[in-house]
Amino acid sequence: MEILIFFLHGLGYAGLLFLVSAGLTLIFGMMNILNFAHAAMYMLGAYLSYSIMNHFTGQLWISLLICPVALFIIGALVQRFLLRPVHKLGHVHELLMTFGLAYIITELVQWYWGNYPLAVNVDGVLNSTVHVIGLTYPVYRIFIFLCAIVVGTLMALILYKTRLGIIIRAAVNDSEMVNALGVNVPLVFTGVFAFGTALSGFAGVIAAPLLSVFPGMAHEILIDAFVVIVVGGFGSLGGAVVASLIIGLLQSFGVLLIPQLSMALAYLLMVIVLIIKPSGLFGEESL
Amino acid sequence: MKARFLGSLCSIIIVLTLAFPVCASAEDTIKIGAVQALSGTFKDIGERYLDGCVYAAQVINEQGGLLGKKVEVIPVDTEFNPDVATRKATKLILRDGVKFFYGGTGSTVGMAMKELATKHNLIFFTCDADSASMTGKDCSRNFFRPGGCTDNRSFAVAQQTVKQGYKKIAIIAQDYSMGREAVDGFKRKMAELDPEAKIVVELYHPAGNKDYAPYVSRIIAANPEVIFTPNWGNDLTLLLKQGRPMGMNQKILAYYINDEVSIAALANDDLMIGNTGTEIYNLDIPTEKNKEFVAKFYKDRGYYPTWLRGKSYMATMFWAEAVKKAGTTDVDAVIKAWEGLTYDGPAGLWTMRACDHQAQMPYWHSEVVKENKFFKHAFIKHVDMIPPEDVEVPCKETGCNMPK
Repeated sequence: MEILIFFLHGLGYAGLLFLVSAGLTLIFGMMNILNFAHAAMYMLGAYLSYSIMNHFTGQLWISLLICPVALFIIGALVQRFLLRPVHKLGHVHELLMTFGLAYIITELVQWYWGNYPLAVNVDGVLNSTVHVIGLTYPVYRIFIFLCAIVVGTLMALILYKTRLGIIIRAAVNDSEMVNALGVNVPLVFTGVFAFGTALSGFAGVIAAPLLSVFPGMAHEILIDAFVVIVVGGFGSLGGAVVASLIIGLLQSFGVLLIPQLSMALAYLLMVIVLIIKPSGLFGEESL
Repeated sequence: MKARFLGSLCSIIIVLTLAFPVCASAEDTIKIGAVQALSGTFKDIGERYLDGCVYAAQVINEQGGLLGKKVEVIPVDTEFNPDVATRKATKLILRDGVKFFYGGTGSTVGMAMKELATKHNLIFFTCDADSASMTGKDCSRNFFRPGGCTDNRSFAVAQQTVKQGYKKIAIIAQDYSMGREAVDGFKRKMAELDPEAKIVVELYHPAGNKDYAPYVSRIIAANPEVIFTPNWGNDLTLLLKQGRPMGMNQKILAYYINDEVSIAALANDDLMIGNTGTEIYNLDIPTEKNKEFVAKFYKDRGYYPTWLRGKSYMATMFWAEAVKKAGTTDVDAVIKAWEGLTYDGPAGLWTMRACDHQAQMPYWHSEVVKENKFFKHAFIKHVDMIPPEDVEVPCKETGCNMPK
């Protein structure tokens, strides 16, 4: 019984980790950009959700619709007007660009929303608890895990079962050839970056009621997301799923079994993976 | 010709560099460098501390200044980084001749500033960093703490725990020096006051933790009567926000429950009501001096001198008393004057102990209630005062070997 509840805790946190790292790994896998601004976009999503839910409507699902769309547009603009011009200068410039962008977004958020933590509270079913065999468990944590499953499945379907997915994957492998076949490759890249950014915004909306909204939230999640994509393998969607699950469960059972080490376990895992298989569990060696 | 030109240029630069500190110290102000986190994650904490310090300077200046000079607060943004704090403070020391520093949110920044003050023979004082070791084994002649200390505060919480008859206690704390020292102090005092009381579970989590569910499940499984936590900020609110819906219904005996920002950030008073805190300053401390202070502050600023603001105000006022008594800004004279000095401020009588430079002060126990005259949301209500002698650590037990 105790094992079951710690298993559920692990799944809940794994869901959140996956939602945050899915967009990050997608952008890296497709475009080879380690997007430092990803967590800042996640924070922006959470803050937008705060404004929507506290000043406009109390409904989470409206936030879940509006925020990813807003972030999609922001992502498309960032890729088109900031990243594309520096693309020909190489990855270091793109990396620096996202790094600077992260700072700018963080400062803008603090300037507009202030420094104090803000509350996003959900009501109705999502705020309730379920009682299973003598355990009280919040519905919201189950909701997070379900969202992660839905997002993961949709991404897999699009990437591996649709024509669009074939184009995206082909553009990654040989962009010149795909370009020659009449596909607008730069547009594909803009779309992928925008979609990845929208995912981070989605994750922000989901995280806000659980973690509350404050200026340090980007910084706190970024490290965890990087651990996930390093362990899972840069750019691997399946890797992100497995790594999120491992790290979520590791942290949960770590607190139960070896609390002195629980905070170090994820990093320990990362070190071991880097030594044994530097490309990550599911990463391709060529990367 | 060129060499001569370069030579004169060099001499001009040297003269200018030398002249600047002279100019600065000739000005008619007494400067305090307020080293605070004024950007980044802890910006809200740093700004509130700074506000209290600036207000204290304003009050001193309104009353004619200190030794006939105006007090000037120079904000220094530490970026929550000890290296940045050291670099910027060093600049103030060398360029502006600043001799007094206040602040140091974040124990690593506090430690670095303490070392810097010792090296340059200046005065650094804090009410921001609570670790007992700073006035214990790591004490310094140049460091004063007109603020709380984990040992005293945990002793006060332990006394309340025993008074209320709790026998099974869960502990959860942030895994860094302050959290560890707070728990250590609490356990020592509990063992002394009530050997039968049991710590049923003792948990440490990283500061800035996100997922509290596993910790909460362990607390629930241990079935305690009450929970002690020195957590603050998000680490306190998230524990409640995630813990309460899971069935963690026990009352929380906290350190800093009087943070109106944390209470407002929960946006759900039910999570907070009934929890208690133990602080050196609360808005509703029932002394005449406090009522006057709160009223004047509210009139001047339009908001209340809550928590950090009140603490840094009193710390700065206490420092000013020491300078006044010394009659000079000479560092050695001020150190000598501050040792043994008392300050009768809004939160009762404070005494700066000479043996470890830790102010001995009453602690104020309060409980979160729904109705209050300060805010629309829930806030604290005064319950009890724990006198300094009840929570004192004898000089020889602090581990401080004060250099003469």
